[in-house]
Amino acid sequence: MNLAHLHLIMNHVPTVGSVAALGLLLLGYVRRNEHLKHVGLEVLFVIAVLTLPVYVSGVAAHQEIRKLKEVSDDAIRIHQDAALIGFIVMEFAGFVGWAALWQWRRHGRAARGLVPAATVLLALALVIMGRAANLGGEIRHPEILDGGVAAPAGDPERFMTWTVNQVAVYSRWAWPAAETVHFLGLSLTFGVLLAVNLRILGAMRQMPFSDVHRLLPWGMLGFGANLITGMFFFVGQPGQYSSSEPFKWKIIFLVFAGANFLYLTVFGRPWVNGGKERFDAGPGDKALAILSLTSWLAVLWAGRMLPFLGKAF
Amino acid sequence: MLEWLDATALSTWLKESPSVWAFPTVLTLHTTGMGVLVGASYVFDLRLLGIGRNVPLSSYRWVFPTLAVGLGVNIVTGILLFIKDPTHWGTAFPFFVKMGLVIASAATVVPMRSLVLGSGAEQRDVSSNMRLLAIASILAWSGAITAGRLLAYVVP
Repeated sequence: MNLAHLHLIMNHVPTVGSVAALGLLLLGYVRRNEHLKHVGLEVLFVIAVLTLPVYVSGVAAHQEIRKLKEVSDDAIRIHQDAALIGFIVMEFAGFVGWAALWQWRRHGRAARGLVPAATVLLALALVIMGRAANLGGEIRHPEILDGGVAAPAGDPERFMTWTVNQVAVYSRWAWPAAETVHFLGLSLTFGVLLAVNLRILGAMRQMPFSDVHRLLPWGMLGFGANLITGMFFFVGQPGQYSSSEPFKWKIIFLVFAGANFLYLTVFGRPWVNGGKERFDAGPGDKALAILSLTSWLAVLWAGRMLPFLGKAF
Repeated sequence: MLEWLDATALSTWLKESPSVWAFPTVLTLHTTGMGVLVGASYVFDLRLLGIGRNVPLSSYRWVFPTLAVGLGVNIVTGILLFIKDPTHWGTAFPFFVKMGLVIASAATVVPMRSLVLGSGAEQRDVSSNMRLLAIASILAWSGAITAGRLLAYVVP
């Protein structure tokens, strides 16, 4: 299976997943059931994480099919622009939803307006993703077109991805600045996950889990900075990454690490007896802590090895 | 001296070996050490600045052995990275800026360590001087990372 195939397998995840998450959230409002809203936000977070491999595999699919004569490069770029906007809104919805989940776990309720904000952003992401999906379908499915391929040729300036690419290639400062932020974010996220997982493994026994949980937003801040700068690299120079073996592993381990981050944020077990000191985590949670640290280390290693095992700089 | 270093077998191996276990692994270990060292420092700086202020300072003993591991890895890998291109780094001013920032950052750890190791089981209060030191630590580590990243892109 190549990445183009992966794109075909996963490309309905953002739309269908958003419908599921949005349905749960709306049902939660109708039934005044907070638990349903929790589940809706958890599904939203998972979809936001999975949207990353959907987007990046799409670029690999682009590289595969652009050689085909009957495929319009413009049609692909129009789809790609819509998908990028959808991706941004989806990740934003995911961050807001995550913040609500974190507050729920910590204070027993989310700040007023946070859950509605996540719901509205998710609805917006669904609309944009729906459009992107439709445009994606038009690339290879002439049977759904009304009047043939309408996309005009030339004029690449109108594409957002093209603009990002120009900045990445021609700006003297953009790339080094983004690299710097990427490394600062890396350190912050890694430090927080190190502290959280070491606590689960038995360090800082006097520290209640709830106080370790307090650190998670800082980990999310570093991760957010790295998602933004990382996407700048990827959209700016997609050819460096889309066929790179370490990049593939980086994304796979990021998905693991993202799922683990959600677990650390919302699940009760590691935080059971949250207020009590000297509480020890169970063997399952210790195993997950090792898996979490391994995943983040793998993300870091695959990322740093990009220039050597792949062809990125 | 720099030229002599440049001609050593170790330098040649780092420069020319096509193996992933040569230069790429040294560089990746350097980044990993950075994540451990700066990451653990940031977490403790945040505690000094009031994130989790009800946690006793003595809970943070784990930070210092962790910093020692990160720093140890990065001193060794850093020396190797220097040996790879001694005439390049040894004459680049921004490189010495980075070294200055690393030494300044590491120096902030010394008073922090004595604070934690000397603190009682229930000590939670942090003096305003310590908070200033935490800010200095965040700035110095971030500066060192910035200088390190720019070295790779801006120094010709």
